[in-house]
Amino acid sequence: MKTSNYTGFCLSVVAITAGAVLASCATTPKQPLGSAEVRAKLTALQSDATLATRAPVATKDAELAVQTAETPQPDLALAAHRVYVADHKVDTARALAQTKFAEEQRTALNEQSEKARLDSRTREVDLAKSDAMTARGDAQTALLAADASRQQAIELQRQLEILQARPTDRGLVLTLGDTLFATGNAELKSGATANLDRITAFMTEYPQRTAAIEGFTDSMGSDEFNQGLSQRRADSVKRYLVGQGVGTARLSATGRGEESPVADNASVAGRQQNRRVEVVISPMPLAPESKQQ
Amino acid sequence: MISFLKKTIAVPAVLVFAAACASAPPIPSANLQAAQLSISNAERVGAATHASAELAEARDKMSAANHAVDEKKMVAAQQLADEARAGAELAAARSDAVKADLVNQDMKRSTATLIEEMQRKTGDSR
Repeated sequence: MKTSNYTGFCLSVVAITAGAVLASCATTPKQPLGSAEVRAKLTALQSDATLATRAPVATKDAELAVQTAETPQPDLALAAHRVYVADHKVDTARALAQTKFAEEQRTALNEQSEKARLDSRTREVDLAKSDAMTARGDAQTALLAADASRQQAIELQRQLEILQARPTDRGLVLTLGDTLFATGNAELKSGATANLDRITAFMTEYPQRTAAIEGFTDSMGSDEFNQGLSQRRADSVKRYLVGQGVGTARLSATGRGEESPVADNASVAGRQQNRRVEVVISPMPLAPESKQQ
Repeated sequence: MISFLKKTIAVPAVLVFAAACASAPPIPSANLQAAQLSISNAERVGAATHASAELAEARDKMSAANHAVDEKKMVAAQQLADEARAGAELAAARSDAVKADLVNQDMKRSTATLIEEMQRKTGDSR
């Protein structure tokens, strides 16, 4: 019993001592009010990837101020003052770092702006280029059209050469000689239609053209007879062409008799030249001519 | 013996009194000046517009410091002057940060406008 009492006493002494030691440990490094919060703020700044290194002098200055603020200080007013100053220095360091960061971003922003400007230019140039290309395309189309019409003209020329037509202000004049008809007769000779067939082909190919068929005679015989004969011969040619498929509306037939001789009626050769049928093909129409396929 | 004792006590007492007189805290002119300079600087960089709360606080601290000087509370005056300076420096730094951000926003906006305009232009003609 005595022993246990002693033991209990000893234990209580140890407990008290330990308690005292613990208590002294807990109370000794008392940090000024608010200093922990300022330290946390500084740590946040120092661990901010974008801001940590951008205001090194101010951040170092803030670090020193925070350390001072953390130092235990019995003068509460001084402690509060130090915390106040440290807090403001941390905020200042952060603001300076933000400014620096914003300024550094400007390089990238300038590049973006330049790039956008350049893109805009490039697009404008591209657009202009494609416009030019469109224009070139148009020009090419026009060129092709011109080419086509030149081809057409060449083809026409070829046809005219075959027809042996001569261009006049009345149009293309094709002269069919008297070999088509027997003397005093208005009937076409069989086998003499080769020239007429070429006219048919031409009129079929150029459906916008019209033709005036005019009959002429020499001065031999009476005017009435010659007038009638020339008309019948012209009609005969027209009939043949209509028979070949040329629209009757596109053809006119006129007897001109003895008028408009092309040669002297005094000679045999001249009279032969005057006995003729002329086919006057209307000049090129104003609208672009379309070939019939 | 007694007179000697009196002398030995009296001399230190005089010295202590003299020391007390000499250490009566002077006006913290340097701190006040530095604080005033910082406030002027903050005003110069546009803190009145961009960090008005911080600037107002610094001005309050400054007038409190001057008031403390009037009341011969030199320790408080110095602390308040230092706080005014810290506050003014913060006001200037915040003002600069706000301005820098405004410039960047402006740049972003003009670039965005450029891109938009470009898209509209090319969109129209295609």
